[in-house]
Amino acid sequence: MLKNYFKTAIAVLRRRKFFTFISLFGIAFTLTIVTVLAAFVDNTVSANYPEVHRDRSLYITLLKQENTKDQGQWNSPASFYYLDKYVSTLKTPEKVAISSFFNPTNAYRNGRKLAVNLKYTNAPFWEVMQFDFIEGKPFTEQQVANGERVAVISEDTKRDYFGNAASVAGQTIEVDNQAYRVSGVVKSVPVTMPIAHADMYVPYTVSKADYRQPTLMGNYTAVLLGRSEADLPAMQAEYAAVVARVKPEAKGFDVFKSNADPYLSSFLRNSPFGDTDDGGVGRAMMAGALILLLFMLLPALNLVNINISRIMERSSEIGVRKAFGASGHTLVGQFIVENLILTFLGCCIGILVSFVAIQVINGAGLINNIHLTINGTVLGFSLIACVVFGLLSGVYPAWRMSRLQVVQALKDR
Amino acid sequence: MFKHLFKLIWNKKKQNALLITEMFISFLVIFAVSTMAVYAYRNYRQPMGLEYADVWVVNYQPPANIRTLDSVYGFQEALRREVKAMPAVLDVTYSGNNVPFSMNSSNSTLSTDDKRRANANFYTVEEAYPGVLGMKMKSGRWVTKSDLVSNVPAVVINARLEEALFDGTDAVGRYVHTDMEKLKVVGVVENAKEKGAYQVVESGMYRHLDSNAARWTGTMLLKMKPGTGASFESGLFRTLSDRIGSSIEIEHLDEKLASKNRLSLVPMIILFVVGGFLVINVALGLFGVLWYNISKRRGEIGLRRAVGASGASVSRQLVQEALFLATLALLIGLFFAVQFPILHVFDLPSSVYVAAIGLSVAFIYILVFLCALYPGRQAAAIYPAVALHEE
Repeated sequence: MLKNYFKTAIAVLRRRKFFTFISLFGIAFTLTIVTVLAAFVDNTVSANYPEVHRDRSLYITLLKQENTKDQGQWNSPASFYYLDKYVSTLKTPEKVAISSFFNPTNAYRNGRKLAVNLKYTNAPFWEVMQFDFIEGKPFTEQQVANGERVAVISEDTKRDYFGNAASVAGQTIEVDNQAYRVSGVVKSVPVTMPIAHADMYVPYTVSKADYRQPTLMGNYTAVLLGRSEADLPAMQAEYAAVVARVKPEAKGFDVFKSNADPYLSSFLRNSPFGDTDDGGVGRAMMAGALILLLFMLLPALNLVNINISRIMERSSEIGVRKAFGASGHTLVGQFIVENLILTFLGCCIGILVSFVAIQVINGAGLINNIHLTINGTVLGFSLIACVVFGLLSGVYPAWRMSRLQVVQALKDR
Repeated sequence: MFKHLFKLIWNKKKQNALLITEMFISFLVIFAVSTMAVYAYRNYRQPMGLEYADVWVVNYQPPANIRTLDSVYGFQEALRREVKAMPAVLDVTYSGNNVPFSMNSSNSTLSTDDKRRANANFYTVEEAYPGVLGMKMKSGRWVTKSDLVSNVPAVVINARLEEALFDGTDAVGRYVHTDMEKLKVVGVVENAKEKGAYQVVESGMYRHLDSNAARWTGTMLLKMKPGTGASFESGLFRTLSDRIGSSIEIEHLDEKLASKNRLSLVPMIILFVVGGFLVINVALGLFGVLWYNISKRRGEIGLRRAVGASGASVSRQLVQEALFLATLALLIGLFFAVQFPILHVFDLPSSVYVAAIGLSVAFIYILVFLCALYPGRQAAAIYPAVALHEE
């Protein structure tokens, strides 16, 4: 039966080429936008280079001090002191990476100026994050403890600072008026991954600011790596127990809050979606789905219009089938399947176009070093969008078709 | 004539309802895109209000070891003297970190004696600030260091805030209040687009750097001689780095503006591309459906021609029908669109919405007209004999 539907669908497609073109154009274009969007979201949210262990990591990006009396709030990343004292000492995580947000600074070389984002890290940072070392190696625990001026630089920084030099490990780079010895070169990370992105990574012990300052608020974040995904609740519970013991330091403030969250919720928690148990992921997804549905509404309506025209053209066929006893349900089913076939065809074209679009976006350098890909997740999402779109544009015309009166349909001829 | 058109449309109300819905939603999409575009264009037409060429921004961590007020002042004055003595530096000022085109902002609510309220950006400045940025006074004077000793702190507000709080009457000599204190307006400065070329002018209040703020100040603005290059900059960077002792960064205001403008333009370009494709999509669909409808009405059109209607009048009637449909869709669309200026959604001036509504109405009419033109022509070419013969 499906084979028959397929044959009919192809026959109908070949009948009015212009309508076919309009339908396929609309579907393909809609699916392209959805796919590119999905690829972008997937790139920012899922575990990508270098944060490949995201599924068993928790992020601490924010401390909150609240003054419940005057509704005052003070939000900031943590100080190194806080993370070192309360987070490094946790028992459940396998490793704890501590790193600062990137600080912009400058380097000057041969009469040219470079903007360099500097990040201060501890040694486990290199084990939690899986960087690709093009040459050299990360700095060690010992080097950090000794306060050695060693640096890991990104490929971009190597190119901008040293030009076409083949190997730069061991050479000196001068940034922020400090000379550092290059210990390694890593593949660059896009700025959409703020925890891992930097142009140059150096030990926190060489920071010009005093990292021992005993305050809570600062400029550092921590990534807690568990042994497996199953460890995450235990890690969260242990951190929550530690947080409960910390007193807010600002005068008049009485509540201290901080959460160890999976990657996505660690960012959503500070957004208008946040402050639910899951950090607002559910609400953000609802909002995303709603916007997507609204976006698909117009192309779907367009397709509904065209489908109706097409169905009316087939009124004689429908009349005959009804006259020979086909039920309304059968016809509705047939038309929806036909429309899904059409949508899948458009979807395939759309995915091909998105491959091209993504190449263009990657090539245009809209965001440095971002490398969008169409992987299984993205494809799966596109297929879901495709089915939703097919149903959205097929159900109403099919219903109209099934209600066609036999006499009316046959009389038209 | 309208009665006749209406009857024709009413007879096919189911199909036309869908067409109307499609035009209606297209109108809303175009309305949204053109509102953004009109708003950005209006802002772009406003004068910049400040000179950003050859202005450099130095950001640094305030040195942790300099704590007492005297030592902070001593440190800042020594640094200022040294930088100002450099041949390429024309002028220097310290500032809060919300310099023009930066991502930082600091704002709060101000009220007048008669309880009018407005939200304003708070800027921490010095005497040299308007000189470095080329800002012009509208009335009164700029704040000076000697204002710090007066009982009621002196502030300068911009023309936008003067308009919001005092209805455009001269604000010099009047008072404004924050939650905590009373301030005296000593001058009004012309508006400056401190958030970027495509962003709206925001209300602003400028106050002299005082002893509380000095300890946390980590931003300097330098007006350079035109054409000062990277070699001088690297020397300056080294000197500042040695004197300040913490991490520093030098930025150029023109580059900051360029990246800020990119931030406003990129989303707009993406919206235009998506909106453009949606419109092409809708146009093709409309064209197809109208064409199909006309081919279904060959009998009717043939009859009209047979009883004496000219080709031109037939095609005119079909275009009129399509435009009448568009009018119905636009009436529904307008009902929703006018709610935006009436209810003041999004805090945009009403004139922006009016212009956007005008643009979108014109756009939909032109689109529908173009989509109906060719099918109408086709209809005019129908020979009554052929069409009626088919019947």
